[in-house]
Amino acid sequence: MKLLRAIFAALCLGIFIPAAHAAHTQAQLLLANDMARRGDTVLVGVDLKMAPGWHTYWKNPGSAGMATKVQWQLPRGVTAGDILWPLPKKLPPAEVITYGYEDETMLIVPLKLASDLKPGPLDLKAKVSWLECKEQCIPAGATVEATLNIGSETKPSTNAPAINLWKNRAPRSEQLFSFAARWEKSVDDTTRTMIIQGTPTGANVLPIEKVDFFPGASDNFEVQGATEKVDSQIGFALRKTVKKFSGDWPSSIGGLVIVEGGGQTNGFEMNVPIMAIGTATPARSPSLSTSPPASTPNRSLALMLFYAFIGGLILNIMPCVLPVIALKILGFVSEAHNDPKRVRMLGIVYSLGVLASFWVMAALVIGIQSAGHRAGWGMQFSNPYFLIALTVLITLVALNLFGVFEVNLGSGTMSAASTLAGRQGVSGAFFNGVLTTILATPCTAAILGTALGFAFAHGPAVIVLMFSTMGIGLAFPYLLLSFQPAWLKFLPKPGAWMEKFKIAMGFPMLIAAIWLFSIASIHYGDRSWWLAVFLVFVAIAAWVYGEFVQRGRTRRGFARCVVILVLIAGYFWPLKSQLRWNEPLEAEAGGNSPKINFPELSAEPWSAETVALARAENHPVLVDFTAKWCVTCNSVVAPALQKPTVQAKLKEINARVFVADYSLTPPEITDELARYGRAGVPLVLVYPKDPSKPAIVLQEPGPLELPSHYAGAVLTALDQAAK
Amino acid sequence: MKQVIALLALIALTGTAFTEVEVGKPAPDFTATDIYGKTVHLSDYKGKIVVLESYNQDCPFCHNQFKTGAMQELEKEMTGKGVIWLLVNSVNPHNSSHRTPEQARAEWAKYKIGATDWLDDSSGDIGHLYGMKTTPHMFVIDKTGTLVYDGAIDNEPDPEHDPHKADNYVRDALTQVFAGQKVTVSQTKPYGCAVKY
Repeated sequence: MKLLRAIFAALCLGIFIPAAHAAHTQAQLLLANDMARRGDTVLVGVDLKMAPGWHTYWKNPGSAGMATKVQWQLPRGVTAGDILWPLPKKLPPAEVITYGYEDETMLIVPLKLASDLKPGPLDLKAKVSWLECKEQCIPAGATVEATLNIGSETKPSTNAPAINLWKNRAPRSEQLFSFAARWEKSVDDTTRTMIIQGTPTGANVLPIEKVDFFPGASDNFEVQGATEKVDSQIGFALRKTVKKFSGDWPSSIGGLVIVEGGGQTNGFEMNVPIMAIGTATPARSPSLSTSPPASTPNRSLALMLFYAFIGGLILNIMPCVLPVIALKILGFVSEAHNDPKRVRMLGIVYSLGVLASFWVMAALVIGIQSAGHRAGWGMQFSNPYFLIALTVLITLVALNLFGVFEVNLGSGTMSAASTLAGRQGVSGAFFNGVLTTILATPCTAAILGTALGFAFAHGPAVIVLMFSTMGIGLAFPYLLLSFQPAWLKFLPKPGAWMEKFKIAMGFPMLIAAIWLFSIASIHYGDRSWWLAVFLVFVAIAAWVYGEFVQRGRTRRGFARCVVILVLIAGYFWPLKSQLRWNEPLEAEAGGNSPKINFPELSAEPWSAETVALARAENHPVLVDFTAKWCVTCNSVVAPALQKPTVQAKLKEINARVFVADYSLTPPEITDELARYGRAGVPLVLVYPKDPSKPAIVLQEPGPLELPSHYAGAVLTALDQAAK
Repeated sequence: MKQVIALLALIALTGTAFTEVEVGKPAPDFTATDIYGKTVHLSDYKGKIVVLESYNQDCPFCHNQFKTGAMQELEKEMTGKGVIWLLVNSVNPHNSSHRTPEQARAEWAKYKIGATDWLDDSSGDIGHLYGMKTTPHMFVIDKTGTLVYDGAIDNEPDPEHDPHKADNYVRDALTQVFAGQKVTVSQTKPYGCAVKY
């Protein structure tokens, strides 16, 4: 009987005691990965689910409450980074403002795995303690744990999307505003008012309906909860009351600026010195010169349109475009004498072809954006099918220039090789415009990055306007010369030299084809070789077509069959069964980074977490956003970064280098680029040693800038970052 | 003229925004009912050192001071030296932590509270007047009626520490007041649960 009673009591205890102490918050540890490799950084989330009406606190609880604490008990070789706190909200009552979370929150922590970890399961454990409040407050806690497998690959877990979702609710790292703070006036010995000013930095288009400032935790002073919005000509200004408890007045202020608008709430980290009373308005302090606005010119629409036009003009002399344009312009030489009206008309049709193609691209970008995705320029390079098509097309253009076969689009007469500049049809001129635009796309990203970034951030009307301007720029020389063929008088009379010129122009085209092939090979790895085989099949078909169908006298029907058979064989053998064109490799951010050749420092694949970790350890950080298909990245930025002076400086200031490979346009990188107002690469960021300071954004290099000149800019930024 | 009006308006605004008490200035008088139904004025204690303690036993930060006995010890020690120690309970009547006078008397007995009196401030008037933010939030008023301390009970903002080992700001302030010295740490950031106004 006694035993029975004891068992009964134990059962009661077992049931009721935990119930009596049951927290109103459920904690669990979630891992973004089921399996990870050594050296990886794994994101984990401490998930807190609160019963209705209950709340827990942010890292600065405010006037009352207590921040949630996470004490890790980690095996050797695993290091926890700082908590990324999702944006909190102000909690009632109005008299005692506190900052925290209701319903659910997830504290995100990056865990760095050492490179000498043994494969197998790892137990990750943390003691989480928090204060939960509704009508009453209860201190509570839990020990949470999870198992991570160390293995040969990185395998995301089913929790990865949730962790990413919460990670995205943390403050945004980009600087869409530049912040400044100044004392406004003294209310009494221990109370002052402070004005916080936020000025949009160029490309920012965030709608602002409500702004607030949540201060970071502080011991000897308190930034009070109430926020007053003050009139401001640009951006916004807030008045906050600061109460001092002891010591001197703070000289700097840190916290979160919360911007609400357009149905979104965004938070931005702010950490600025507080200017003395009487300081004139916004006055960006010298230490803020590291923020983007200092290096980003004020981008007015007119200026951007001017850039777009110049960019379009420059596209004309790009290696893949020049041959086509040059040849067509040469065509005027022969035709203008006879029929200047027709030449003008064809010039206009050509321009319309260019414009139409740019409008199609604008429509694509707008479509992608309105579908809720972030568009980046260079997306076409992440599409392997587009790349294959373009490679084949450029190869054909080269073969055509070599005279292997002829093209006669829409023109009535079957032109012989010698009359290459013969009359072209209206549809031919239009097609030419389209072709020029297609051939120009690889170069647009390199030249028009800033302008496109601006356009992409400004909504459909600006996108259409910018693309049109670019198109006009591209079509301009052709159009101008079609109206003023007399300007080409210095050229020798049409004749045999033109045929030789045409063949010579085939070689830059061949280079363009090889370049496109090398980009396509990113998507197919070792299998890419078969694309080359397919190109040979295409070349054979082109030759048979030109030699035996176009110029042949007999058995043209048979030759036609051969062309079709070669193409069918080429499709089914090298392209379909060997290259497996419809099974490109999976895109993986930083997966096969084009490692910059750093002799002593190893460049690491970029991720927001690893950068955050490196900054937390007080390293200056350099991030190179690059892509294999980006001309400027490879011809200016990479050689500049490889300069011994830059390498030595990186080592000297103990900087960490990360490479963000945009070749396959992973969305994380598209997002990160957009944060800095860019629609494509190159982008080089230098993060100062002091983690509270914003990144230094290097000016975009021009396509013809000397690497040594760019290296100078990098060195200056690195010097600044080391301070 | 417009500017002058705007300036005056601003002064008026900021004036109303900071009704909170200020260290070094006279502590404002108030009237309240204690848990025995007696009416109490701060001015009743003119010429005496007064401590105000914003109180809510359901708050773990407060409770920690009492469950370890630290608060009662300090209260008894100081009331023994002639200090008037008033608990101010500003919990609103709809909150489950609200105490009726009977419940308050029972709680007083249960925790062997050593204060002078417990004032029912369920209207929140005293709390608002003094800008009480948290439980606990401590105020020390010297014999001249001047506020000399405003802030936390001690330097350990944690609901589970041992208060005996912490640096108690109220003890420090009172010791200096007894010695006729200036209170060195006269303002700190109060910690605890938000007052349930």
